[in-house]
Amino acid sequence: MDEIKQDILGFLQNNSFMDSSTQLGDDDSLTMNGIIDSIGLIEFLDFISEKYSIDIPEDMLTPENFDSINGIANTIQKLIK
Amino acid sequence: MEKLLKEKSGKGEYDVIFALSGGKDSSYGLYKLKKEYPFLNILAIQFDNAFISDTAVANAKKMCEITGCDYFKLTMDEKALCDTFRKAATSTNAYSKFARYRASDICNTCISIIKQKLIEQAIIRKAPFIVFAFTSGQSPTPIIDLQVNFIKWSRDLFEKQLQNIGVDDKDESFVLKNEIINNIDKDNIPMILHPMCLWDYNEDKIIEALIDLGWMPPKISDSNSTNCLLNAFACQNHIDKYNIHPYAFDIAGLVRSGDMTQEEGLEKLHKELSKPLIEMASKKLDLEVE
Repeated sequence: MDEIKQDILGFLQNNSFMDSSTQLGDDDSLTMNGIIDSIGLIEFLDFISEKYSIDIPEDMLTPENFDSINGIANTIQKLIK
Repeated sequence: MEKLLKEKSGKGEYDVIFALSGGKDSSYGLYKLKKEYPFLNILAIQFDNAFISDTAVANAKKMCEITGCDYFKLTMDEKALCDTFRKAATSTNAYSKFARYRASDICNTCISIIKQKLIEQAIIRKAPFIVFAFTSGQSPTPIIDLQVNFIKWSRDLFEKQLQNIGVDDKDESFVLKNEIINNIDKDNIPMILHPMCLWDYNEDKIIEALIDLGWMPPKISDSNSTNCLLNAFACQNHIDKYNIHPYAFDIAGLVRSGDMTQEEGLEKLHKELSKPLIEMASKKLDLEVE
């Protein structure tokens, strides 16, 4: 779980979505805190699908599942099982 | 791409809703798309953001004539648009940090309106594809398979971004109408295509090819836009606010992909922005620049 969170943070930092100094809690909203927008979200979802070799089902594509570090990490864990 | 286009075409009122600004990239994109895939039935939509040049309108209509595509000019209340662009110009919290590297706050607002309304048109007209002529620097993903939840999420996100800058879009003039999302046919959800990502890009050759077709070179002296009279002001405003040139990311992408030399890229970025255009736009928006 921690490894997934680090992957997500690494992607966001390496792709200029956020500075390494940005304080972001695991449950904070990525969209509402200005970290990511709809265009960035598409690239982010592509990254997740490729990195973990998963298809994201339509019904799982919701802010609850993909708008926070915890939400994303939990969703990835469910999908790779 | 051809397989995908053939599979899904011929079922709705149009096969493609094409975002046509009348500038060089979209004019060429429309021409090349129709040339490569002549079976496509295309509706080209030109968004009148209250700052498009007369030449851009003439060019858009001309390209539709040449390619045999239908033309539709999407207009909105000019006062509401200017008010929204003014608020975008004076805001610093509307968009994510990453979005600031991709485009100015004004351009992000304008392109978001276009995306929302073109998705809306595609749903209404049952068109399976929406095509934007973004270069690989602007958008590296050639195919975006939209899903209802994502459309809804993007819509709500843009609504929130508008609220952040002080725009209450209660009539859903700028965002995709909820009623249309709620009644979407889940078997016919449009996809967004960026075919320019897959084609070689050479600005000089594109302009040369367009002029041969009868496209008129712009009369405006803006090194980054051949159609929008607001662009120079939007760039200046962005540089003043964030000290970031809003075309740096796009140009860097073109340089990395080999479609532009580093020298050409740097020359574009260092070219002085047009003062007359900046003055004209600031007057229309009732704003001053530094």
